[in-house]
This record gives sequence, C-alpha cells and structure tokens, in this order.
Amino acid sequence: MKDLIKRLTEAFGPSGSEGPVREVIRKEVEPYVDEIRVDAMGNLICLKKGSGGGKKVILDAHMDEIGVIVTHIDDNGFLRFANIGGVSPMVALGQRVYFENGTFGVIGCEKLDDIKDLRLEKLYMDIGATSREEASKKVKVGDMAAFFQPAIDMGNRIVAKAMDDRIGCVVVIEALKRIKQSEHDIYAVFATQEEVGLRGARVAAYGINPDVGIAFDVTGTGDTPKAHTMEVSLGKGAAIKVKDSSLICHPGLRDYLVKLAEEKGIPYQMEVLQRGGTDSGAIQLTRAGVPAGVISIPSRYIHSPCEMVDLGDVEACVNLCVAACESPLDF
Amino acid sequence: MDLREFLKKASLAHGVSGFEFMDIASLAKDAMEGLVDEIHVDVLGNVIGVKHGQGPQPRPKIMLAGHMDEIGLIVTKIEEGGFLRFAPVGGVDQRVLPAHEVIVYGKRPLTAVIGVKPPHLTSPEEAKNAHKMKDLFIDTGLPEEEVRNLVRVGDVVTFKRQVSELMGDRLSGKALDDRAGVAVILACLDELRKYKVDADVYAVATSQEEVSLGGAVVSAYGIQPDIGIAIDVCHGETPGVPEWRTSSVGKGPALAQGANIHPKVFAALEKAAKETGVNVQKEIAPAATGTDAWAMQVTRAGVATGLVSIPLRYMHTSVETLSMSDIEGAGRLLARFIASCDAGFVKELKTWI
Repeated sequence: MKDLIKRLTEAFGPSGSEGPVREVIRKEVEPYVDEIRVDAMGNLICLKKGSGGGKKVILDAHMDEIGVIVTHIDDNGFLRFANIGGVSPMVALGQRVYFENGTFGVIGCEKLDDIKDLRLEKLYMDIGATSREEASKKVKVGDMAAFFQPAIDMGNRIVAKAMDDRIGCVVVIEALKRIKQSEHDIYAVFATQEEVGLRGARVAAYGINPDVGIAFDVTGTGDTPKAHTMEVSLGKGAAIKVKDSSLICHPGLRDYLVKLAEEKGIPYQMEVLQRGGTDSGAIQLTRAGVPAGVISIPSRYIHSPCEMVDLGDVEACVNLCVAACESPLDF
Repeated sequence: MDLREFLKKASLAHGVSGFEFMDIASLAKDAMEGLVDEIHVDVLGNVIGVKHGQGPQPRPKIMLAGHMDEIGLIVTKIEEGGFLRFAPVGGVDQRVLPAHEVIVYGKRPLTAVIGVKPPHLTSPEEAKNAHKMKDLFIDTGLPEEEVRNLVRVGDVVTFKRQVSELMGDRLSGKALDDRAGVAVILACLDELRKYKVDADVYAVATSQEEVSLGGAVVSAYGIQPDIGIAIDVCHGETPGVPEWRTSSVGKGPALAQGANIHPKVFAALEKAAKETGVNVQKEIAPAATGTDAWAMQVTRAGVATGLVSIPLRYMHTSVETLSMSDIEGAGRLLARFIASCDAGFVKELKTWI
C-alpha cells in the first residue's frame, strides 16, 4: 500500500487536469472491477457488480489536487498565476512546482514591507527563463502546475503532497481489491474537480442515480500545538463524519457505520469539520436526494505539500469500507 | 385549527438542520394529517403532504415550502472537566450566546448552560469585546465521566426558550424562523377547504434550509412542480435598522419581488391579496433571497417561484418576534392564489414575461 500511496500522491492532477492520476488508478483497479468508463467531466467510474438484490452504492474519492494556473508571462520570463482550489500564499511561498510536461518552477515574492501584505498576487513563478519567448517555449497561459514534493515514509506515518485526496483513492482501491462478497453494485467514482466545487461528483452521481453514497476524503485534526478545537486525532482511527460545511450526513447511514465499526472492532472517531466540504455534499443533493455519508482519513497540514496521514487510520478506513460493502446497508 | 397553539409547540420542538427527525418532523406530519390526502417523508427528511385537486389531468402542481429546521449548535469536543466545545449549525450570532440555557441532545436530553467568565475576573480590555464562539463552552453540570457516557461529538444542541406571549397577538421565541412558514402552510390548507381547487398541492415542511437549502433542492426535484412558493420570514422593523430594509410586524405578509420571483406569480399573489382583503407589504430582493425559493427556481427545467414572507424581529436569536395576524393573512391569500391557478395560468408561466 505504501508504494501505491507514493505513486498516487506523486502523480500530477490539479483540478481539471487529472489525466495522469486517472491512468495510474485505471491500471490499478482494472483486474478488480467489471466495467470502467470515463464520463464527460473526466470522472473515472468503475463498476464492481454485486451478487444481486443489493443497492447501487457509490464509493467516491476525488483525484484532483490543489495547484496553480498561469495567468501571465512578463517580458523577463516571470510567470504570474492564480490558485486552483484553496492555495494559501503562506504555504505557496518558497515552494517548487511542476507542469505536466515536466517543467519545474519556483515561487518567489515581490519585496514586502510587512509580511501581513502577503497575497497570492504578490507571488510569481520563476521557471529559469530569461525572456517571454524562452518561457513561452515551455509554458503557456492557462497551463496548470502542481506542488512538487516527493512522498516521505516516516514508518507508520506518511507525508506527501496531494494526500488530499489520493489517500481517499487508495482507500477505495484497496477496498475494491479486498471485497470478497457483496450483494451491491459498487460504483467506485474517482472524481474530478472536487477542489473547485464538488463538480465531478455532482454529475457522476446524477448519471449513476445511486441508492447510497459514501465519500472518502481527508479531514483535519485538533491534535497539533494550539490547533483549533476538534476532537479528531491522527492515529485514532477512521473518522465518521457528522457534519462539514457541505453537508450533514444521513443520520441512518452515519449510525450504521458506527455500529459496523463497533461490531468489527475497527477504531473510529466522530468528526465535525468546521471548514471544508466533501463530494458527499453534492451526492446528497442529487436528483430527489441520496443518503450520503463520509468516512474521513485524519490528516495534518491539509492543503500544504506536507499532508500527513497515519497508516493505521488508512487501514481502519479500508476495513470500514469493506465491511460496509459486504453488509446489507439496510439502515 | 388552532394556529397559535401549533406555533407555540413548534417553537419548542427540536429540529436543528439535518436533525429534524428528532422532533419537529413528526409534529409537522401530525398537523398535516386530515388536511391532505397523503403524506410521505423523503430521503432528506422533508415532510411532504399531497392534497389532490379536482381539475382535469394534467393538473397544475403547486409546491409550498416552509422550512421546519432551525439553527443550533453541534458538539465538536468534550474537554477535561466535561465542558463541551461547539460549532454553529446555520447562522448563529455568537454575540448572543453567553448565559443561554441550552438542551444537549445526547443519549438523553440534558439541560445545560453556556458559561462565561464573571465580569469580576475579566480585564477592562477583554470586557470591550463580544465573546467569540471558540472561547465559549457548554456546562451540563455533570462529572466528566458521565458527560462522556451521555454525549458524543456530533450531538446537537438547541436553545432552551419558552415561548412568550407578548402584548396583542405577538409571539416571541426560538425557531419561529421558519416554523411560522409551516404554520402558514397549515393555515392555507385549512382555508383551501372553502375553495374548489384545480391544482394538486404539495405542502412541504422542508429540511436543511439553514445550511444548504438542501431539503428544497431534492423535494422540488422529486415533486417537479409547475409553481413553487416559499414561505419564510423577513426582517421586521428594528431600531437602528433603516426602514427600507425591513417590513412592519403586524401589517401583513410581505411579497418578494426580484430575480428569484416569477413576475406573473408575484402579480397573481398580489391580486389574491386584494381579493381577500389581506394587506401586504413589498420585500425587494435584487438577487438571492436566501430562501427555498432560490433552490426551487432552478430545479430541472425551471420552476415559476414566489416568496411570501412573515415579518419577524430579532432573526436568528431565541427571541424571534412576530404577529399571528400576518400568518393568518398569508394563509388566506395563499389559498386564494392556489384556487386561482388553472392549466391556462400554468401555460402562461412557461415564459418569464
């Protein structure tokens, strides 16, 4: 699993440019599913057919990551950019970024009299070019770049960029590999454009018209020095979401997941996330409504290139996902 | 139908967004019994009552949406000593929280208080600022172990507030936004008995308005109405707020006008008000109304929407104040409007002007 986490987090995939991630996942899941298709929004939808009589279940994880998009190239070959998703200027400053064609850049900042004036508009990208002409040979306005950071194996914890939400993808992939018997038609949706408004999942869910939707995404923790108040801690198990800014989870499904975790002895914690949304927010409001929930992977330093997860938590999420798929889901 | 008694009960009922099933949904359902032909509850917890019309098929479909959810709090952490930290569900004003009595819906309902540091122990500097939600906590009075036994992260909390019957016909209490809208729907259904009605009426006590308009999004998709009328609250006149931003409590419901409102629905509502002698006020909404009408309007291929508002003071506090006469008036004019809707009117609505 560590190898898969490394390959997936290091793949390139800002929102709208998820192609490379999609190819890694497609190869990985092909032997374990019955049908694979890609829809108009680029969602990778994989169907693992059930034994019959069950429900249509979406397991969703988003492929896209935050990044930047080039808006202007100046005479001296410096690039200006805008954010794709929630990019903090504090986090972006001093980072290395890379484009899909392999071009690297570094993020510099105009002279500031006060660090409080730090804004994304004050930042620029330097790809080592000396003129607009030279820069334009490698990068065009509208090209996207992702943050560059190789994954680091810390033993039971792993740090990487794009752990949000490749670790969710890993959980769903692992579950597809481990599910032994399910009556349900499982639609694994590897969704696009979550970071810019839950947009891939919205259309995927409309197309599939499911009976149940469960998203797998990262959630914050309250266990770091002077963190904001939150009960979730790294290493204490799968987080079963009650609420975030995008949805209030279906109470029946939520309690069903809690009961499953208790029966199977899977470590879990209850989660209320004050800021941030997940694909389930879109899935829930599909057509005439879908019971939707979220199993979250606790993560520190979300939306930085150093997102940290605990392998014990990842394992708990996989186990809970498998248990849910192998259960009747009759909440 | 005793509207006043219903509203007093509804105000006390628990129904924080997403948790309507815990109390208010069954109250709304019971109140609809006898007024509609069938009732069902959908995936998001919307209570949908259907009253069939007598017109020729296909009959016009009219959806009435009054949201039954209320703003509240949700437990985020149980701290040492058993104190509870919390976050808002919906637009809670953190400045009015200190010294509130609340009910924590754990394994059983627990009466608790939101405590604050006494003024004696507060520095003059600190005393200048309103309390921030992140610094506040809930005290159940129970030992930590017992709290951990009874309460878990994700449990919801409501304000504990009796309904006050003020002078005249005014009520003051929590969650009148938008239990008042549910009361209007009941008043309208009751009044409809006097009319011969062509249209099928879908009376919906919607869920989750305060967090996402989610209840209206999915119920409108399921119902697929020709006309959708939201009944919600608007700001009553308040000292310190300019007159043009408010309506007068007790001077009749307000009819909204703006991009969210189909001009022909507005005109028909205005006409119904005139015919029933109900005084109405105008509420101007240039863009988003922030109500279920906003969600209904863009459902499927589009729904002709209207918005009837009950003027209410001190919105999103536990002393929301309104006049019963505005609710009764809204019920009467809506019934008249519904009775006037036939296939010809629905056809006219297929264009904006």
